[in-house]
Amino acid sequence: MKRKTIAIIFAALLAFSAASCGTVAEAPAGAGAAAGTEQAADQSAAQAAASTAETGSKILKAASSFAYPSLDVHKEYYGWYTSIYGISEALFQMDENSEVVPCLAKDAVTDGNTWTVTLEDNVAFSNGNPLTAEMVVRNLKRAAEENSRFAYLSDFTIEATDDKTVTITTPEIYPTMKNDLATPELGIMDLDSTTDFDNAPVCTGPFVIDQFNPEGDVTVKKNENYWGGDVKLDGAVFYYMQEDDPKLLAMQSGEIDCYNSVSSAAMEVFETEPDKYKLVSIPGARLQFYILNENRLDDAVREAINLTVDKDKIAAYLSGSVSPAMGPFSTKTAYGQVGVPPVDTAKAKELLEGDGYTLGADGIYEKDGKKLSIDIAYYAARSLDTLALLIQEQLKEIGVDSTLSVYEDPDSTYIATSDFDLALYCSIADKSGDPLYFIDSTLSDGGYYDCGGFDDDHCQELIEQLRYETDPDKRADLANEIVQIAIDDNAYGYVGLFNKATVLRPGVSGFAENIPFDFYGINAETDMQ
Amino acid sequence: MIKKTLGKIAGLLVLLLILSLFVFLLLYIAPGDPAEKRLTSQGVVVTKEVLQAEQERLGLLKPFFVRYGEWLFGVVRGDFGLSFKDDLPVAPKLLQGLKNTTILATTSLVFSLLVSYPLAFISAFRKNRLADHIIRIISFIGNSLPNFLISVLLMYFFCIKANLLPVIADGTAQGLILPVLSLSIPTISRFTRQIRSEMITQLSEDYVTGMRLRGVKERYIALNVIRNSLGHVITIVGLQIGMLMGGSVVIETIFRWPGIGKLVMDSITARDYPVIMGFVLIMGTIYVVINQLTDLCYHLLDPRVRT
Repeated sequence: MKRKTIAIIFAALLAFSAASCGTVAEAPAGAGAAAGTEQAADQSAAQAAASTAETGSKILKAASSFAYPSLDVHKEYYGWYTSIYGISEALFQMDENSEVVPCLAKDAVTDGNTWTVTLEDNVAFSNGNPLTAEMVVRNLKRAAEENSRFAYLSDFTIEATDDKTVTITTPEIYPTMKNDLATPELGIMDLDSTTDFDNAPVCTGPFVIDQFNPEGDVTVKKNENYWGGDVKLDGAVFYYMQEDDPKLLAMQSGEIDCYNSVSSAAMEVFETEPDKYKLVSIPGARLQFYILNENRLDDAVREAINLTVDKDKIAAYLSGSVSPAMGPFSTKTAYGQVGVPPVDTAKAKELLEGDGYTLGADGIYEKDGKKLSIDIAYYAARSLDTLALLIQEQLKEIGVDSTLSVYEDPDSTYIATSDFDLALYCSIADKSGDPLYFIDSTLSDGGYYDCGGFDDDHCQELIEQLRYETDPDKRADLANEIVQIAIDDNAYGYVGLFNKATVLRPGVSGFAENIPFDFYGINAETDMQ
Repeated sequence: MIKKTLGKIAGLLVLLLILSLFVFLLLYIAPGDPAEKRLTSQGVVVTKEVLQAEQERLGLLKPFFVRYGEWLFGVVRGDFGLSFKDDLPVAPKLLQGLKNTTILATTSLVFSLLVSYPLAFISAFRKNRLADHIIRIISFIGNSLPNFLISVLLMYFFCIKANLLPVIADGTAQGLILPVLSLSIPTISRFTRQIRSEMITQLSEDYVTGMRLRGVKERYIALNVIRNSLGHVITIVGLQIGMLMGGSVVIETIFRWPGIGKLVMDSITARDYPVIMGFVLIMGTIYVVINQLTDLCYHLLDPRVRT
């Protein structure tokens, strides 16, 4: 009797669980982002798709830290992910050296205010429709309408002069057009054939969507009509996994073949088994830097701070997740060639003493009875909290006291008010292989992040030249000179470039592991043995 | 009866109105700009003009009462608005998250009760004996371990060491095992200790002493103790349902379970006010309804409450 009762209770529990899960699993998949689709069921379907393909096909399984509700290439940052999934392509793309190289377009040349973009001859969408100049024009106009970050394109006159030529006329000389056209949000879709932009855009990439679960897993399969030739993989599955530990465990259990944004803790684990895991870590485009407030700190103090902050020690403490930075851009680029004085705490102290500071009994410098204490403003993201503590500790060693002020949103608080002595910030410095975007934001007069009082007429002149200079070599020279002025003025401290760390199973290659930008993933050359 | 029910519904509406106003005010004065979060989510800085245009588009530059009024007017018409994060309707997102969390929470609750009741029973009836000591130590440990640690440990042992389950769980019954276990271990520990305590209290009551003196069999005494402890159990279950329905962010994130806890946590990070407000309304309603159901259970189980 007892056994029977227990059996009934457990049967009821099991039936309940099965019914609950069944409800999830039986729901229609891919019903659209707006309908709030059955994600759990979709994830199951994605896995099923993966396991079906395990019967001999080359299906790459990867983890993705982000997931979005739509695949509309032009909206928000969704184009980054359609690019990572190998679905969409832009007219140009970035290579391993942060240089713009052709993709859907052969070339783009400018004569003053007009850019002439020539498309590749044989490009076709996954449905076989050829790519036309008129379609490119419509795509660029749609991106301007759908994405506020690209609204500036509506100021340009974009026209198709023939089937394979697009002209873009700008009100002023616009040297970074090719770089802009390489951003993944300007990927090209077949606007006539796409009926569901959120779930099934028709693009030109080597892969097409097989199963899309809004804010969940994504499965792609080979584009049989790929214009660029053979595609080595048969497909790929991107499992949405936010947490580091499950990604590490999934790699160890063999459920995924690769992922990027590997945490430093996971890197330590993978490094112990080099025969099982290939770890690739390169300096990325995301920069940790600080702004020194020239209106509050005099020259000697700013220089002393810059001579004290030890980027190598900081990078070592952050266990390989960042590389020490010289300037805002990777030293691999032509526009990342600047010089920074080495750490010299003795000279830093000399500078302070030469400025009238005397060391107090508590080991802190003071002048006119006032302690040398600075306010470090930061926000708790991208390891800036750790960075703030490390800088505080390093400054204390030379006799500079500091207080830490943490904020929720830097842009609307300390960046907007300039209420800081030293402000920490992290952003992508190299958006698309050109220095102007970052220099304009941080060093030009009126730049939103030029909030520390940096003001140099010669530097501004150079920035104006950079704005209109079209020769890449001259642009690099100008950028180096501009950044060097800021470094010499001790207006900023460029601390570290976040590493793009990727782990791959042996035999897996071409997961954009050597490209510093976050918006590339699989392509036609991605392969697995 | 009808009057009483209508009164309760009116009370619920007033409560929700006050709650929504309070939360809306908190969100209004809290630091954080949804437009900035949205535009810079990938670390790309934007110009002041782009930021302002986005703030205007999202209606963030309007005065507080205009914003609250618009939101409230929408809710009255059944429109919870669009998410600040992705412009998608809020209601389907919340309902989907709520549904998934309900599956997880209910399974965990039923499983926890099925395990903790017998454990509490053994522990109470074997007070200060070996079984009691073991159960108390285990429940103490289970109650002390944080959820994320339990989740990762379970994943490590079941998926890597024993190779019984996949790390990448899905929406099937198999995918439910580890999240339910992770959620249940602390719940079982808590329930066991609380039910044990209530049973021990019942065992020291005069009616138990009387039954024993009359020579009533232990089996019947146990049945009476179990029945009389149910009132207390209902209280703790009611509280636990509220907690579980609030969602377990850590478990939902680690096990990729698209529940409401994870949705709300992501929304808080993105300052997605419409989703947060919708969540507050739903959870407020759930809490009130559960409280009413708990009261109803008291009425059914305890004749003293009815009088």
